[in-house]
Amino acid sequence: MEPVKLTAKDYKTSVPIVWCPGCGDFGVLNAMQQAAAELQLPPENLMVVSGIGCSSRIAGYINSYGFNSIHGRALPIAAGAKLARPELTVWAAGGDGDGYSIGTNHFVHTIRRNPDITYIVMDNHIYGLTKGQVSPTTPHGDVTKSTPQGNPERPLNPLALALELGATFIAQGFSGNVKHLRDLIVQATQHKGFALLNVKSPCVTFRGRQEFNVIREHGVYLDESHDPSDWNQAHEVTQWTDKIPLGVIYKVEGVPTLEGVAAELQQKALERRKFESATELIEVFH
Amino acid sequence: MRDVTLAIAGSGGDGVITAGDFIVQAAARKGLHAFMLKSYGPQIRGGESSARIRISDRPIYSQGDFVDFLVVFSWKDFNRFLDEIQLRKGAVVLYDEADTTPPEEFPVDKGLEVELIAVPFKKMASEEIKVPLTKNMVALGVIAELLHLPLDAIKDAVMKKFGKRKPEAAQVNLEAIDLGKTWVSENLPQGTQVVLEAEGSGEPKLVMTGDDAVAFGAIHAGVKVFAGYPITPASPILEFLSKWLPHFGGSVVQTEDEIAAITYAIGASWAGKQAMTASSGPGIALKQEAFGLAAMAEIPLVVVNVQRVGPSTGIPSKSEQADLFQAVGGTHGDVPRVVLAPSDVEDNFQVAVEAFYLAEKYQLPVMILTDQFLGERSETVEPEVLFARKRVISRQLASEEDLKDYKRYKITDTGVSPMAVPGMAGGQHVISGLEHHEDGRPTSSGTLHQIMSEKRARKLPLIAEESGFVRIYGDEDAELAVLAWGSSKGAVREAIERAQEEGIKVKAIVPQLIYPVPNKALDEALRGVKRAVVVELSFGAQFYRYLRAYYDGLPKETYSYARSGANPLLVSEVLEAIKEHAAALGSLQEA
Repeated sequence: MEPVKLTAKDYKTSVPIVWCPGCGDFGVLNAMQQAAAELQLPPENLMVVSGIGCSSRIAGYINSYGFNSIHGRALPIAAGAKLARPELTVWAAGGDGDGYSIGTNHFVHTIRRNPDITYIVMDNHIYGLTKGQVSPTTPHGDVTKSTPQGNPERPLNPLALALELGATFIAQGFSGNVKHLRDLIVQATQHKGFALLNVKSPCVTFRGRQEFNVIREHGVYLDESHDPSDWNQAHEVTQWTDKIPLGVIYKVEGVPTLEGVAAELQQKALERRKFESATELIEVFH
Repeated sequence: MRDVTLAIAGSGGDGVITAGDFIVQAAARKGLHAFMLKSYGPQIRGGESSARIRISDRPIYSQGDFVDFLVVFSWKDFNRFLDEIQLRKGAVVLYDEADTTPPEEFPVDKGLEVELIAVPFKKMASEEIKVPLTKNMVALGVIAELLHLPLDAIKDAVMKKFGKRKPEAAQVNLEAIDLGKTWVSENLPQGTQVVLEAEGSGEPKLVMTGDDAVAFGAIHAGVKVFAGYPITPASPILEFLSKWLPHFGGSVVQTEDEIAAITYAIGASWAGKQAMTASSGPGIALKQEAFGLAAMAEIPLVVVNVQRVGPSTGIPSKSEQADLFQAVGGTHGDVPRVVLAPSDVEDNFQVAVEAFYLAEKYQLPVMILTDQFLGERSETVEPEVLFARKRVISRQLASEEDLKDYKRYKITDTGVSPMAVPGMAGGQHVISGLEHHEDGRPTSSGTLHQIMSEKRARKLPLIAEESGFVRIYGDEDAELAVLAWGSSKGAVREAIERAQEEGIKVKAIVPQLIYPVPNKALDEALRGVKRAVVVELSFGAQFYRYLRAYYDGLPKETYSYARSGANPLLVSEVLEAIKEHAAALGSLQEA
């Protein structure tokens, strides 16, 4: 019997969606469901871990083992899960506040450990769930509820940060182009190691519908002239100021993963000394 | 003497702890009971450090109040331990003659009539062995000879440490030990000895620290993922597991911070593997939000808190029992949880096993409250005792039947719902820190919040009735009881024995399960008790106040004996408290 082919519909759930009409995150959700179908991931073998924020609700909207955890902690939970069950697929997801503000420490060190997980950040440049405060990626000068005189701080550049930290896969997508985003998610998932996928996903409520147009106007899809294996080229792209790069910016394969290193350590430990049971460990105390 | 307490004090580079380790190992090889407490200042190197070792042929419960035998490499360093090292009357004190402090300035109470002996430790090491660093080994030889410690066993311990890897170092150390031994016979008159007359059982014992015991217990219980962040005095747990867990198919991650450590463990447990994290007070405070997540999402989790002196950074290298409130009440919301407290090194092993047993069975976070006094001390341990309590550790997983219409938080009589773990087809669902429906969907309904609060709380009475969590020492039918928890048990147990020897009827009641309160077992233990005193090292009397708030069965006449930590609880102070309350009980009965 031919196995039943999974379609995007198989990744939908009955959990009511709380997002505002027109929210960019719908595009991300569709792209994730389509990518899962494209990859034919059995839903039970997929873990989706998120933090807190509008976008973090996404863990409940994908037929999988979902974990809508606490603010900023999607990455360590996802990496811990991957370490425990390396045979399963792990997607982490969340917003710019979750990942680039309260969760920055984890972002930095997860990149260093390189677990084979995909991190999808729905970057809307605002705190939406708390109704409109400035975020770490809000452009300088923008007026928000917590910066009525304009954002006094310069925004964080997640792509450049990830590149500098040695991320092994860096891409940027746009929730207004689901097909392109789906392809990026597929590539990020297939990448062996930590994949950062920053998605420009507008908040229509607090930053307005025109945000879609801004991204459309300034978005530049990277073509064959961009070599993602070239760090210097990638660096240049992350420094663009008036254009928004869309596509795979940087990619390097063959870097050891968190769970790969752990498996190696276990193998070496067994070669060095094999215990029949944990009780035998008592010998080290003699 | 059948029970000797000796102390060695010097600076960090003097090898004080190494010498102490060898003495403890030698005692263990002879089948004697031994106990070593390390103490040190905040400096990483070169600061003062002391090793306090007690050896006996009977089980040892505490560090011993008074020192019978003291070795001082430097009086300046010794000065820092005046609080902790109290000499017995007539104690023998050896000091390095190289120290230039004039004798009239020695910080030793004249009234104690101690026997002061100058020994050329440094000179012998430098001039005869030609390795100044072997000063501690010369001292070891002197100590062994004076105390009649088994020299062969000490040499065995030295060979075990250096023999294979550094045979030359081993040789030099053995020579230094012999030199010290010879010095005694050539320079000191017979009768200077504090002879240890205790004969060991001959059955070698193990030597373990509490931190190692808790880590070993976790491996024995089946931990597969451990994540931790370095912190005094919990780091040895991280180090032990880093070394040994990979041998048992497990992994260790030293994370970027305390929050990552607990959330790695939560992720791993959610994915289906037993997981643990460990820290001390400040780190536990940082983990509290995630601890609540494990409770809300009903994820089995073991968190070890090796308590140290607080608040804030406090005194990192010293012990206190003042994290009780943060353990039972930390993090926001009504949090179903378990708090367990081991009371000695063997217990650290057993409680680790119990923690996994309860966490997995009831699907909630369990905090182990150990402390620096337990964690960093070495004790001789008997394997039979270690493995005496058996537990079957398992998580109730979703059955085929459950998976047909799977509800992660299905309302059940026990509050425990079958858990589907990733990889189980048909078990997909979402979990969160949000209040939820039975199937995991978030809700903001107050009605559901009440129902789910009841469901989660339903586990607690079942846990409270799990057996074996309350220990009683002393006279079962005593009308006077000492209530103690955790590492205070040692001094309390010894004080109880001394009080009994003096004709006082008294018992100690020590719960291993702190939260939920094991009501029935405590009622049973307190039956017939007319007066109780709660003993603890917490300035705010947290245990006393906790019992008052959470337990209805205390005798009307219940008092508190509480002081701040850092200095270990003394047998003598507990004994005094017992006498005082015994007298009060007596006059109560007369009246």
